[in-house]
Amino acid sequence: MPTKILIVDDEPDLQLMITQKFRKQVRENEMQFVFSTGGVDALKKLQEEGDVDVVLTDINMPEMDGLTLIAKLNERYPLLKAVIVSAYGDMANIRTALNLGAFDFVTKPIDFHDLEITLYKSIREASSMKQAAKDRDQLVTLQHELEVARRIQKSIVPRTFPPFPARQDFQIYADMIPAQEVGGDFYDFFLIDQERLGFVIGDVSGKGIPAALFMAVSKTLLKATALKGLPPGECLEQVNRILYMESVAAMFVTIFYGILNTRHGEVEYSNGGHNPPYILRGNGKVESTEIGGGLVLSALENSRYKTNRFVLQPGDGLFLFTDGVTEAMNTEQNEFTATRLIESLKRQTGADLTGLVNGVINDVRVFSTDAPQADDITILSLRYGGRAHSAEG
Amino acid sequence: MEITQTQNGEVLIFAIQGKLDSLTSKTFEGRLIPPIEQGNKKILLDFSEMDYISSAGLRVLLLAARLLSDSDGKIALCGLKPSIKSVFDIAGFSAVFPIFPSLPEALDELKK
Repeated sequence: MPTKILIVDDEPDLQLMITQKFRKQVRENEMQFVFSTGGVDALKKLQEEGDVDVVLTDINMPEMDGLTLIAKLNERYPLLKAVIVSAYGDMANIRTALNLGAFDFVTKPIDFHDLEITLYKSIREASSMKQAAKDRDQLVTLQHELEVARRIQKSIVPRTFPPFPARQDFQIYADMIPAQEVGGDFYDFFLIDQERLGFVIGDVSGKGIPAALFMAVSKTLLKATALKGLPPGECLEQVNRILYMESVAAMFVTIFYGILNTRHGEVEYSNGGHNPPYILRGNGKVESTEIGGGLVLSALENSRYKTNRFVLQPGDGLFLFTDGVTEAMNTEQNEFTATRLIESLKRQTGADLTGLVNGVINDVRVFSTDAPQADDITILSLRYGGRAHSAEG
Repeated sequence: MEITQTQNGEVLIFAIQGKLDSLTSKTFEGRLIPPIEQGNKKILLDFSEMDYISSAGLRVLLLAARLLSDSDGKIALCGLKPSIKSVFDIAGFSAVFPIFPSLPEALDELKK
């Protein structure tokens, strides 16, 4: 595409010189010239032509002079570069034109070589301005897409609480706060059948869009596999194999997957490299589930995952979290740590689940005041409200 | 973070000083992975001066382990501080990576 240049002069000499001297550029489709005889006509031509990059204009013209034209150009076409042609030594007009937004000037009698340099310089400037404007538009588009991605990601984890209002035998509550627009954490829960509640929390290595995509795949795959009703260990083994085959660049995901039996409170679980959740006993005691589960998922093809068990008594709860909680930093670069988390959990004893989760999030926020959130913060908590295990026999 | 690279026989040793987080892990990846791709088969990572490792750091280790397993190579780690060991235990890495208390022990293993 040639650069379009508008020449504005009420006398024919400029047009004559341009057509002669820039023959080569026109022939080679490098430049295209449009000619106009005055300010009013120039504005009309600009509107018709649309994509003019550079305007070369005389100052003294009837109807609308060059200076008025420059002022209007600056207002209406901020990306366009204007060059004025003035009488030699006419410093007053040159200053006025530059102050009105002209990019440069040439003086009469026009020296062709100087005009050529000035035009090329103006063309370069105009095209770099155009590129900058294009980059900015692209950035705005990207930001918009990221915002859409953020909303999609927010909506793929369950957000309606309570999710099963008719069920009195358990409660569940969760929240996820990504550090950037999109994150790599996730949680999920679903009824496998009337007496088995599956629940899961996960954390993908890395951040941003790659982590978000891997998070969506992991979450979907886990749920689809879990709904087959497999024991948690077997479920993680299947998910691991598929993720391993699909994964690129050694991304991995930590997953804790548990099944609560809502009839007698037993929890079957398997841990693929995730921070061990806490058991919140009804009396306020906080117990850690065992460390030493399996490897993070998607790391090795044939990782094995054990299924372990513990029992929740009526009133007992579970607290699942990602390392964004324990590794939240304050401005002195200290971490929130598991110790502070346990203290916080003990302080929330007696609160309902929403109060518990929000209480912990608030404690993390107070701790890390003014320090930017470095990692996604995700919490899932549940409470067993059914019958005691012993009563079941 | 500082990386000191030395060679002992055919064993390439990388000593990490400071934090291996999402920022510094890219640098670490750039130093560790190319030599493995160029055919070095024995890698020793000295973590005795390493204060922190994030999941991004673990990812680089995993990448190295995968490449080495493809090329019949070997990797060993030594000198993990308790906080680092705990991260390895939680992530299940302790069962996958050979971890030694000291550098000479790790070297002996790699030279077998």
